[in-house]
Amino acid sequence: MKSLHTDSSHVFLFFIKRKESAVKLRLSVLCVPISNTQILSTYDRLGHLDFVALGRRGEMENPAIQACSLNKVFKTKIGLWKIKSKSTTAVEDISFEVERGELFGLLGPNGAGKTTTVKMLTTLLLPTRGTAKILGLDVIEQTAEVRKHIGFAFSGSRGLYNRLTAIQNLNYFAELYALEPKVTKKRIPELLELVGLNGRGDDRVETYSSGMVQRLHLARALLHEPEVLFLDEPTVGIDPVGSRELRQTIKNLISLKKTILLTTHYMAEAEELCNRIAIVNHGKIVVMDTPASLKKRVSGDSVIEAEVQSAKAPILLDTLRGLDGRSMVKLDHSAEPEKLCIRTAEPEKVLELLSPFLNPDYILGMEVRHQTLEDVYITIIQGEKE
Amino acid sequence: MKCIRWGLVKQQMSVQLLVRTLNFFSLSLFILQPAVFSAVGMLLSHAAGNDVPDLVYSVIGGGIMGMWSGIVFTSTYDITGDRRNGMLELITGSPTSLASVEAIRTFTNVLCGFFAVLIAFSAAMFIFDYSLNGANLWGAGISLLILLFAMWCSGVFLANFLAWSRISGTFVEYLEMPVAIFCGFMFPIRVLPDWMQTISGIFPIRWALEAMNESLLGMRDVRYLAEHWLLAIGLCLLLLVATNWLQNKVQDKIRVNGELSSI
Amino acid sequence: MIRRLVRTVRLYLAQAWLSYHGRFSITNPFGYITSKLGFPFFLMIFFIFMGKFVGFSDPLYIVIGNLLLIPANNGMAGISLAIGEERGWGTLSYVLGSPAPRAPVFIGRAIFYILDGFVTALLGFGIAAIIFRMNLGQVDFYLLTLCTFLLAITASGIGFLFGSISLITRDGWTILNTFIQALYILVGVNFPVDALPGALQKVAYCLPLTRGVMAARLVLDGAGWSAIASLIGGEALVGSLYIAAGYAFFLWIEKRSMQSGTLDAV
Repeated sequence: MKSLHTDSSHVFLFFIKRKESAVKLRLSVLCVPISNTQILSTYDRLGHLDFVALGRRGEMENPAIQACSLNKVFKTKIGLWKIKSKSTTAVEDISFEVERGELFGLLGPNGAGKTTTVKMLTTLLLPTRGTAKILGLDVIEQTAEVRKHIGFAFSGSRGLYNRLTAIQNLNYFAELYALEPKVTKKRIPELLELVGLNGRGDDRVETYSSGMVQRLHLARALLHEPEVLFLDEPTVGIDPVGSRELRQTIKNLISLKKTILLTTHYMAEAEELCNRIAIVNHGKIVVMDTPASLKKRVSGDSVIEAEVQSAKAPILLDTLRGLDGRSMVKLDHSAEPEKLCIRTAEPEKVLELLSPFLNPDYILGMEVRHQTLEDVYITIIQGEKE
Repeated sequence: MKCIRWGLVKQQMSVQLLVRTLNFFSLSLFILQPAVFSAVGMLLSHAAGNDVPDLVYSVIGGGIMGMWSGIVFTSTYDITGDRRNGMLELITGSPTSLASVEAIRTFTNVLCGFFAVLIAFSAAMFIFDYSLNGANLWGAGISLLILLFAMWCSGVFLANFLAWSRISGTFVEYLEMPVAIFCGFMFPIRVLPDWMQTISGIFPIRWALEAMNESLLGMRDVRYLAEHWLLAIGLCLLLLVATNWLQNKVQDKIRVNGELSSI
Repeated sequence: MIRRLVRTVRLYLAQAWLSYHGRFSITNPFGYITSKLGFPFFLMIFFIFMGKFVGFSDPLYIVIGNLLLIPANNGMAGISLAIGEERGWGTLSYVLGSPAPRAPVFIGRAIFYILDGFVTALLGFGIAAIIFRMNLGQVDFYLLTLCTFLLAITASGIGFLFGSISLITRDGWTILNTFIQALYILVGVNFPVDALPGALQKVAYCLPLTRGVMAARLVLDGAGWSAIASLIGGEALVGSLYIAAGYAFFLWIEKRSMQSGTLDAV
């Protein structure tokens, strides 16, 4: 396996070679100029290497999360008499890296493979192919070690004993994570305060609202002070005030140097929180970048939406032909009245072209706004569909 | 003893009691079901024309039946319930192995089952005037301890199938009665046909229970008892080896099929 | 008129099939047979050995009694769960919130459980006849079918009653389970009702199944209609009372839950 960082002049090569027994490994470290990385292919040709990784000079730390060509295929059996095997590919060739202290977002429609990816990274599922590392620890081979360093919370009300109180639930998990009783005693009130549940710790979870349950999940995930946190759609089903509070808590965690991988449907949330985003669809990463770069990437950074008289729409479309090739014009026939949507880097020019038609005979109303991540997301996902 | 995490044991046991055991369903399993089986045993005996029922098999046997049903059902609902409410996934994702959690829970279930046996003993003594005069008490005591160990080993072994998949879990329930038959919970093994007696030899519970029942009926032959105990312990150890092998398989399997959280 | 009739029949069948299929989602034939016959079969064997130990000379008595309890169990447990689990799954509000008439919703649930229990019992008789070499030569099969079918229907009354109880308590299933266990003592499954103490005999005759089981035993001994008519009549009467009580309870709970808002509280 190779992991390349090309922004430095030298790299460390780590060669791990398996001896006869799979348990005994021999580690070699070699420092070479970046220009000499062809040495890798020489070693590859020898066919002895089980694992080769590269690290930047002076930066021995591994990234917090490394996913390399992750694949997950589920096999199910169907049929009453003749039992047939059916394969479903949930994740196909997903690779990405998350640096320490980074908040990385996985976005995508339902069934895109986000949760499956998170479950592979949190050791709950074995990849069908590919590898992944958390803080340099292999999620397949070093499962127990990985579990000590990660925390995870999935959305929904599942994952807690409803008949127990919040404190009883947290105590239960503290023991599963082998926390010292002294530490547990100190941590639980701190965490309840952090997630805004102080004063409710002795109430049964069945009396909690969805937002409170979600916050308790977060407290549970943080019990053992994990360095890497996986949050799968943490704000689903929570009211706007609750969501905002939870987002603030997540921001606080970043200031505590935690690395967070967040999956979400809410673009505003991803835009507000994430340093980088990967949009996933049909089990593959379609695009990966910072929110700002993503917005620039898709046809400029402004959106003009105009409600138009249906009969006059062809004239307006004709007029907008004068825009440059990077602009995108789309007429939404399904809207009532019909809606003209223009994504462009030159909004002034659009306004100039449309100014003669700014009357109710042609245009009923118009809105100019900056492109949001949601626009980018919809463009990408719809582009995939087409 | 330092390697045992007592905090984990205490926490798991208390949660097990609060969430699963102290409810109407479990109490019905541990108390009412043995009472029903005992009643059927005694009324059958009455219908057969016997004036006095056999208290060791009919009444105390009912308690053993209750202990076994409790272990099977509580273990079944433990893992099924955890799978349904998302707990199985969280436990598997923690650094504590699922096997340790299962072992402690089964231990709690065995202790609750022991409560059923105690109630049956009390019922036999105080309601039906069963007397321990003539019983080999030390033999019965040792046999009971080995029986509890055998029940625990069997419970831990079966729990693996429940974690394995939903389907294999449902079949564990069907093992409840066959094990009760092969181990002679409410009748002596000699009642079974020869081929069934041969099969019953593979169950450690059978040897421990037979030794206990015979001790209660006055058996003092040390050689006979020692043979039964050694067989029970040996088979328990074999079961533990098989459990360990199975646990590793289950760990891999549940991470492949993604059934950890499916309902 | 015809359209209305067709709609009602369709509603009955749809309720019946969806409720049955949704609960079992049978994945293969082996699973079906073991789930239906596995536990009752081994329980029967267990009782036979218990009987053998205490000197109860007639193992066939136990075999027949346990086989007759299969359709009854199906009627009781299946229907009770079909109604009660709506609460656990949170679908009860949708069922009761629909404009569908209540009788098909309620009674429709029973049809497939009754049919299923009936078929399973016949299958059980077939298997038992082979294993235990039962002599079915002199048996009137129409009467045996009638008895088995009647047992499945009257047992459904208990299912309705406990299903309705499940709608207001999460321990409904446990209460039913305890009750079913008591039936192994009370209704003459493993030994005659005469072997019970006097007070329990009176309780036994207030329950469905007791007379039905007696009638079926007589049929298996070669008796004709005249010998069992009064037992069948009594069984039908007691069963109807339980079904009516279950339905009334269901309607009362629906009304009560609308006032208290406790419908889907688990």
